[in-house]
Amino acid sequence: MIGFKTAINKLPVPCFITNASQVEQLIFTPECKGNLSVYLHKIEVKQAQKVGILANVSTLRSLVQLTSENQLGAIEKTVITINAQNEVVVFTTMEEVEQYVQANFPAYTEEDIKLLEHLNSLTRTERWQYWTEQFSACVKCYACRAVCPMCYCSSCTVESNQPQWIKVSSETTGNLEWHTMRAMHLAGRCINCGECGRICPVGIPVHLLTAQMNLDIEKEFGAKTGFSCKSGYALNTFKPGDKEQFIK
Amino acid sequence: MSEQFEPKIVAFVCNWCTYAGADLAGTSRTKYATNVSIIRFPCTGRIDFMLLMKAFENGADGIIVSGCHPNDCHYTSGNFHARRRWIVFRSLLDFMGFDTDRITFSWVSAAEGTKWANLVDETTEKIRAKGTFTEFNKLDYSTLEKLSNDAITK
Repeated sequence: MIGFKTAINKLPVPCFITNASQVEQLIFTPECKGNLSVYLHKIEVKQAQKVGILANVSTLRSLVQLTSENQLGAIEKTVITINAQNEVVVFTTMEEVEQYVQANFPAYTEEDIKLLEHLNSLTRTERWQYWTEQFSACVKCYACRAVCPMCYCSSCTVESNQPQWIKVSSETTGNLEWHTMRAMHLAGRCINCGECGRICPVGIPVHLLTAQMNLDIEKEFGAKTGFSCKSGYALNTFKPGDKEQFIK
Repeated sequence: MSEQFEPKIVAFVCNWCTYAGADLAGTSRTKYATNVSIIRFPCTGRIDFMLLMKAFENGADGIIVSGCHPNDCHYTSGNFHARRRWIVFRSLLDFMGFDTDRITFSWVSAAEGTKWANLVDETTEKIRAKGTFTEFNKLDYSTLEKLSNDAITK
């Protein structure tokens, strides 16, 4: 069972319990923000016979998206959440999770929308300055990748050294390339849990890049992520009538 | 007399349409700007956004990305997939404040040698007006400068 417990510093941390006597440890508060579905990619969890997951909103939405990407087929899982009325909800099928997510949660937080509106109101050069300043602080710890439930490739482009796509050292051009690549590979798949931005040790709001991408994709192609087990991937498909203004 | 700025332009083109179009421009003896270096790809669907980033990093001032018109793809749907990716990539670059005018997207068929020549000429003029692409180089320099200043203060 994957859930949260209270750490020594009184903050919630993810925990794994393997027998019923440990259930007392589990907590579920609004502070339990982590996205637990990331652990479903771990080999130890995959090897377990049955997995229970005490899921918050973002975990539920990534479970839906991961199902649509055929990533959870082999895992027999029980999904549990606690709703706004403090009732325990146990889901037996992913369709139930899907309905619950659609009925209960907005796609974007107001905070995100505000930040995005602010950034979009800036001029291009101001945005460039903003992002390069942010990226100059990046230390390439790849915590944003580790924490992301959608970053499950077994080998990543950043680790490729023949050719070396992304420079290993933490300098701004390479940082920019890393964040561009991350945003592009998550565009249309990101479920806006905001974990990458929350986890960043130097406070770069990296989640805004993918959030903006998702808004654009929704606007351009009408595709939403994390709402349907059958939604698929917007960049994996096409419509002959896709509109653009810039191709001559 | 100062020499005029000659931009470096890298063209990522598909094998079946634009490369043949450029070939046609050549065999028809059409004159066009010599600033362009053509890189041939099997299909526009193969043109990864990282290749564009790398071109800029290695000193390109402008980029042309071109392939078959919609419905003309040799592989049926490569350009449709590429188009979706370009739409997303372009809006990401714009959101990050990158000058998207430095990348020209186009459809040029194998019969459009003249269109290719005009495209190269127009792009060259556009990039010439914009000047050298320095934003990436500046980044490295500013980071180095910042780091060395930090080291001095410590």
